[in-house]
Amino acid sequence: MKSEAEVRPRAFRGLPAFLWTEVLVQIHEELAMATSMMVQAVLLVFVWVLNPGLIGVALVGAVLFSMFAMGQRVLNEAAYIRIDHKVSDLYLASPLSAEAYFLGMSAGVLLVYLPPVVVVGVLAAVVIHLSLVEVGLLVLLAGTVWLTSASIGYVFSTAFRDNRAIWAYSSLFFNIFGVLPPVFYPFGLFPAYLRPVALLMPPSAAAALVQWAIGVTVLTRPEVYLASGGLAVEGLGLFLFAVYWARRTVRGE
Amino acid sequence: MDAVERAYPDVPTTGRALPAFFWVGWRWISRNPAVTITPILLPFIFLYFLSLISPPSYRPLEIVGAMLFTMQNIGSWVLGDSALWRIECSLQDLFVASPLGRVRYLFGIAFSNLIAMIPALVVLTVLLAWVGGSDGHPLTVYAGLVIVASLGVLWVLFSSIGIAISSRVRTQREIWPVGNITFTTLGMLSPLYYPLSALPPLWQGAARFLPTTYAALLAQGALGITPATPDQMLLYGGLLAACAVAGLLITFRLYRWGEA
Repeated sequence: MKSEAEVRPRAFRGLPAFLWTEVLVQIHEELAMATSMMVQAVLLVFVWVLNPGLIGVALVGAVLFSMFAMGQRVLNEAAYIRIDHKVSDLYLASPLSAEAYFLGMSAGVLLVYLPPVVVVGVLAAVVIHLSLVEVGLLVLLAGTVWLTSASIGYVFSTAFRDNRAIWAYSSLFFNIFGVLPPVFYPFGLFPAYLRPVALLMPPSAAAALVQWAIGVTVLTRPEVYLASGGLAVEGLGLFLFAVYWARRTVRGE
Repeated sequence: MDAVERAYPDVPTTGRALPAFFWVGWRWISRNPAVTITPILLPFIFLYFLSLISPPSYRPLEIVGAMLFTMQNIGSWVLGDSALWRIECSLQDLFVASPLGRVRYLFGIAFSNLIAMIPALVVLTVLLAWVGGSDGHPLTVYAGLVIVASLGVLWVLFSSIGIAISSRVRTQREIWPVGNITFTTLGMLSPLYYPLSALPPLWQGAARFLPTTYAALLAQGALGITPATPDQMLLYGGLLAACAVAGLLITFRLYRWGEA
């Protein structure tokens, strides 16, 4: 009889296999893929009809919001697998490690839902005439926003016991943090006394940094440090917490 | 049904469906407060966003738009409930076997979801009276009646669309995306948050086939946001009714009840 330490899979064991499994699952969700850009499309239509001059900023915001909204997909998927399909126990009874389950699911969602985001990103690059450095910054920040929101989504998913309640809560969370702060509109339009808060929220911090890089928004040096430092700490911190949480909730470690 | 009555003469074959569904709606929101907060906050999040990017003169129009959009979204909630009860809980078979007909079932679910939307509508009405009054578009009795009538038509129509689609949905995973894509697309095509004249000509043409467009034009006309003569108001009312009747005929053709 092996001890618990001996049967515990090594860190991230099974990641490529589960990532591929998740890609195959997600790629058959044509309807979910079609609706993945719905909120972004609505807000872009608002801007296009009511204030076309802001369309460049809104396109950058759409890229960052899309990466943030992938956390909602991770939340839905993790909850569905556990509550509706009841196969999470099966996956996790296999040699697949808990953190590979979380990261594989998140990366699978990312791969499948990325193409429309790339299209919006290309549109943004064309409309605003982004340089290569600015494109690189946008990609880096979008990646950090994804890591943060995927971690939040996975951790939140473990709190649900009822599929019917997921939509209301997840929609509320991701819309409050993704639409209310200055993601789709210039940072300067946000109330001055709330700007430090916006710089601590992942999607608006990333949007503010891109807007600052392309000259749409003026940020002071401390604001740049707050946004970039906050984003880095939140991204890494929440990822490590999600890994810890995945291990703890799944294997009772 | 006759056979059931003969076999079980003491089983009640009539009942008060609406009060029962009222309790269903109330239990749902009392156990999940976010269900009430979400429909209140989502239009406000949009309104806040719009207040930053659009002229201040559009504010009353946007609040009315949020009311109509909220009511239209009941369709998505009806779709979700009805599909969930049928697919996951297998409850629809029970309803089909009961004396409850498909129309009373539709109104029951629509009513239970209306309960969850009422707080949002009340808050938006207060906001409309306040903002509209200060912007020269007061919420008069006439305007209030027109808005309530428009909301009522949308409630019946979009609830029936929701239940008709729900009867065709096969898996739980389809519920949210199908509802989202249907009702958001219908809402965005109609001039709810912007005047019809602000849209490109092709879009304006497409919007004229949608009932929500006439509900919006009626509400905007009654408040004096988009000027309309009495004849135009009658025309909008007639077109809203015609679109609603056509929509109901189509949805009742699609609506499956107790069929394999």
